[in-house]
Amino acid sequence: MAVETRAAAQPAAKARPRPKRQREEEVLVWPDLVFVEFIAAVVFTITFLMLSVFINAPLLNRANPELTPNPSKAPWYFLNLQELLLHMDKAWAGVLLPTIALGFFASIPYVDRSRAGQGVWFGSKHAVRLTLVSAAYSVIIVGALVSFDAGERTYAERLTRWIPSCNAEAQHQGTPCLQDAEGEEHTGLLSTKDISKRLEFSVPWPNFLGVDDSNLDWPRDLDRIPVPFNNICGNVGSFHLWCDMNLNIPSIMAEQVIPLSTVAGFAVAIIYVLFRVGWLRTKRDLFIVMFTAVLVAYLALSMVGSFFRGEGQNLIWPWEIKVDEG
Amino acid sequence: MAVTEDPGKPRNLAERVQRLQDRVYSAIFHNYVWQSIFRSGYPNTPRNQMLVVATNIFLHLHPTRIHRTHVKITHTYCLGGLTFFMFLILTVTGVLLMFYYVPSVDSAYQDIAALETNVKFGLLMRNMHRWTAHAMVILVFLHMMRVFYTGAYKPPREFNWVVGVILLVLTLVLSFTGYLLPWDQLALWAVTVGHGIGGSAPFFGDETQLIVFGGFEVGPSTLIRFYTLHVIALPIIAAVFMSVHFWRIRRDGGMARPL
Ligand code: HEM
Repeated sequence: MAVETRAAAQPAAKARPRPKRQREEEVLVWPDLVFVEFIAAVVFTITFLMLSVFINAPLLNRANPELTPNPSKAPWYFLNLQELLLHMDKAWAGVLLPTIALGFFASIPYVDRSRAGQGVWFGSKHAVRLTLVSAAYSVIIVGALVSFDAGERTYAERLTRWIPSCNAEAQHQGTPCLQDAEGEEHTGLLSTKDISKRLEFSVPWPNFLGVDDSNLDWPRDLDRIPVPFNNICGNVGSFHLWCDMNLNIPSIMAEQVIPLSTVAGFAVAIIYVLFRVGWLRTKRDLFIVMFTAVLVAYLALSMVGSFFRGEGQNLIWPWEIKVDEG
Repeated sequence: MAVTEDPGKPRNLAERVQRLQDRVYSAIFHNYVWQSIFRSGYPNTPRNQMLVVATNIFLHLHPTRIHRTHVKITHTYCLGGLTFFMFLILTVTGVLLMFYYVPSVDSAYQDIAALETNVKFGLLMRNMHRWTAHAMVILVFLHMMRVFYTGAYKPPREFNWVVGVILLVLTLVLSFTGYLLPWDQLALWAVTVGHGIGGSAPFFGDETQLIVFGGFEVGPSTLIRFYTLHVIALPIIAAVFMSVHFWRIRRDGGMARPL
């Protein structure tokens, strides 16, 4: 069945039969391959024995649920997700984006079905430069976004410090202002999430549009917008469906719309540019760009998490990192 | 081997040595016990070299012949094979660690501490297990990259690529479940971060925490769950997927080659 569809989809392959297997082109697995494998295994065994003799695996104090280390970090291969948590909604950072990335990986061969360029490294015309450009782009964008968002030393914080503190007594804030925690120094926006938490403003708004005091206050008036029919409840097993569902518009904006569209925007931008330049022509090219960018971003975010996040997950230099182990 | 004609007496020393070598060789490789184990002769002729690969269960993962370009180290950098090799080392060192480790919050930490100080080569085994685990994660990523950049996921290898993605996830989860077992501050709080991430799943957050982590915080039931997953469930699942992976490489006509 599968064979039939394939044959129909690729008549060209039928017309030009593959040349017969040439025995001269082949070598014996024993010794040519087995030997290489054996050497590789020996080299790795010796390397890791040596490594293990000289470097010990970490063992800190016994686990204590009362004492939270600051910062506490996931293992490095999940640290990138922990880093994303600082910038966007936790469901997107921790579950949805990784799932989408894995789904994207798995679907690559079902979308890019051409057989051209297989079996050789970078087997299409612009493969190498596409890889290099998208890797560099990914590092730069991750670096730039991180240095803007989430932490006391970000550019966004410095650029928004001029926004005044909110007047706690006032009923409506009018011009934009930032709530400061009690007794704390005034800071700018510490992260995009602050847009829905600390940023406040109000605009005059006619009473009849659901706002009863002639002022629309951000975020107060928008954080419980009922979903249509949200009084119709259903229980499916242990799930409560559609009960009392309200939308928190400010947090949807700050934690989903802004971060996700920023990322998507940068992705579309590089793809568009490479297309216009003429390097990106086939699905294979597209996937080279996407695959490279995703993997490099994964790695870069892990590096940020490992080396640039200190106490309170603030942005710091690697040599300043101190861990309060609790 | 059966000597067909009587060679007569050795004429000089060289011949004598030659005869002796033949006899020793025969005694080792042509005796009844050896031949009951290895069906093919010593692999010094092309015929025997092919037979040894075809008749040995471990070697027969390979074909008997392979295209010249595929034995070039720069084609695969042995990355898939080394990932598998890390898995083997992890199995061996892991079994040794299991002898000394009891997965309860009362004893886990002491067991690891005692393993490091009181057990001969205990520290070495733990270090090996730790560093090869990290290496396996790195290698599986590198292997995926080499497969991608050589275009080896293209037809007819689509499904093996998907099997690979599953193996990638299994490798990460294996590593993560092992992370908790020493039950030190590093372990507890790293897994607590993961616990939070699991809990943030839309619709299934609570279920994930209850089923995978055994509760709304990381505790004794998390430890025993992770232990069971880490030492038996996940390794078996990974082994099954690896078998499929290797089988499919052969079924798909060996490794990818230019058209
Ligand atoms: C535990 C993890 C894995 C193990 C032990 C493993 C092992 C192997 C081995 C030994 C090979 C033979 C060629 C080579 O060494 O490169 C191979 C090939 C292959 N692997 Fe993996 N692999 C793993 C994970 C993956 C992943 C994550 C992917 C991709 C997402 C993948 C996709 C493939 C494909 C498509 C081939 C065929 C390559 C070709 O035809 O050139 N594998 N794998």
